[in-house]
Amino acid sequence: MTIKVEVFASPSCGQCGRVIDLLRQLAKEMSADRIDWREVNVVDEFDYAVELGVLATPAIAIDGRLRFTGLPSINALRTEFERYLTAEPGTNSA
Amino acid sequence: MSTAPSTTERSSKSQNHKQDAGQSQYRIGEMSCLTGLTADTLRYYEKIHLLRPVSRSASGIRAYDDHDLSRLRFIQRAKAMNFSLEEIARLLEMREDPQHARDEVRELTHRKLDEVEGHMKELETLRKELTLLLNLCRSTEAGCPIIEDLDRS
Repeated sequence: MTIKVEVFASPSCGQCGRVIDLLRQLAKEMSADRIDWREVNVVDEFDYAVELGVLATPAIAIDGRLRFTGLPSINALRTEFERYLTAEPGTNSA
Repeated sequence: MSTAPSTTERSSKSQNHKQDAGQSQYRIGEMSCLTGLTADTLRYYEKIHLLRPVSRSASGIRAYDDHDLSRLRFIQRAKAMNFSLEEIARLLEMREDPQHARDEVRELTHRKLDEVEGHMKELETLRKELTLLLNLCRSTEAGCPIIEDLDRS
């Protein structure tokens, strides 16, 4: 199973680079083919960011749902990824 | 030194409206201050029956009450949503006696509720957009490059 992770970032965002580093680290640790991630520049995809409820950067969405705003700890991020990866399809609507 | 009352004092005096059996009463000037509507508009609304006939003193001075104030505020909200005066008149009919409203008025109320809810969704999206823009700007010290970028795109 693969989860889709999106990091919402902006050019002026001080913590966005740190979140992206965390994601790279986790993708490597948890096997890259299980985590399909991309960086979303909110300036380029403003409507999409608003649609998902992003009100500040950095923010992280998993499978199209906003899960974190700000800089999460690596443990919180790992736990959430594992929860999605082990859940039955369609059960992670919370 | 002048003894003329200040604007604040005059405003305060205008709030000293009469009380009649627990109901406040307002002259047309006071009602105008409370609602922001002109005296001409208030008279016009009465003429086209958006307001019921306003009671008058022996000297013919209009005396509005809280019920009129409530109707006027409803009218203002509905006008802000671009409802026509004709539609507002029918909604007021519903407001006076919801249990015996005609089918046509009930349907109009449904349609207007849908319009208001659609408008609220638009406003909610705009609220999120503005919040995001402000948060994006907050982290920059010089100017607001995000808005400049959006303007260019």
